[in-house]
Amino acid sequence: MGRKCLDYIKELNDYIDGDLDPALCEEIEKHIGHCENCRIMVDTMKQSVKLCREGRPVELPKSLESKLNNLLKDRWQIKFGK
Amino acid sequence: MSEKELVAKAQAGDFQAFEALINANKGKIYALALKMTANPQDAEDIVQETLIKAIDNIEQFRGESSFGTWLYSIALNQSRAHLAKQKQTDLKPIEDYLPTRSADEMHNHGGHKLFDWRDPHKVLEDDELRKMIDEAIAALPVQYREAFLLRYYEELSIKEIAKIINESVASTKSRVLRARLAVRDQLSRTLEARYGT
Ligand SMILES: [Zn+2]
Repeated sequence: MGRKCLDYIKELNDYIDGDLDPALCEEIEKHIGHCENCRIMVDTMKQSVKLCREGRPVELPKSLESKLNNLLKDRWQIKFGK
Repeated sequence: MSEKELVAKAQAGDFQAFEALINANKGKIYALALKMTANPQDAEDIVQETLIKAIDNIEQFRGESSFGTWLYSIALNQSRAHLAKQKQTDLKPIEDYLPTRSADEMHNHGGHKLFDWRDPHKVLEDDELRKMIDEAIAALPVQYREAFLLRYYEELSIKEIAKIINESVASTKSRVLRARLAVRDQLSRTLEARYGT
């Protein structure tokens, strides 16, 4: 029982992202099993990032897309002369 | 065609090769700029400025990172310029994100419990939650906002982010963690204020 919640919290990012060594992972899982606050911390950290990722736009607005086409072509011509 | 070949062609003046290189990344850059500035007009400007800069400096790209990472670092500089008036403040220390400062106190006396919104679908639509997350991200100090977005929005590795923001791996890691804790904390506060008992 040497470790405290704060020690675990410092490792939670790596734990959630799956970058932690297995032994420490196991230790954290054990801790989460009986520490409500750390369990909530892990769950809600996961949720917030998941939601953030899901809302990601992948396309440019159409108006910007067509503006860019001309703008970049012109710039390219100035630079390379073709 | 590999990225390396496309880069070589673009650097020799092939516009189509350049287009292929930026097509894979411009949507992501727009998304990053939008989250960084929380302003669609600024985000459009940043995309334009980034791609123009990429053309102007294409011969300076040496392939030490991926082309996307190179574009991100230009986009981040442009975003910072747009956010120049925003202060570089610091977030709370990590221990302040715990409900009680002493872990013993928490375990032995129950302490204050964190608000649990494990199943947010019970209370709110995803869209509304996302809006709250966006607000929490926008409220982060700039240097934490960029670290958070590069990690979780653009899904770059800590190493790549460290290169882009020009910080050590250790301090990049700590920034990402604190940003993540702050976003989570902010969201919990908002939801607890609304739905907490
Ligand atoms: Zn704990």
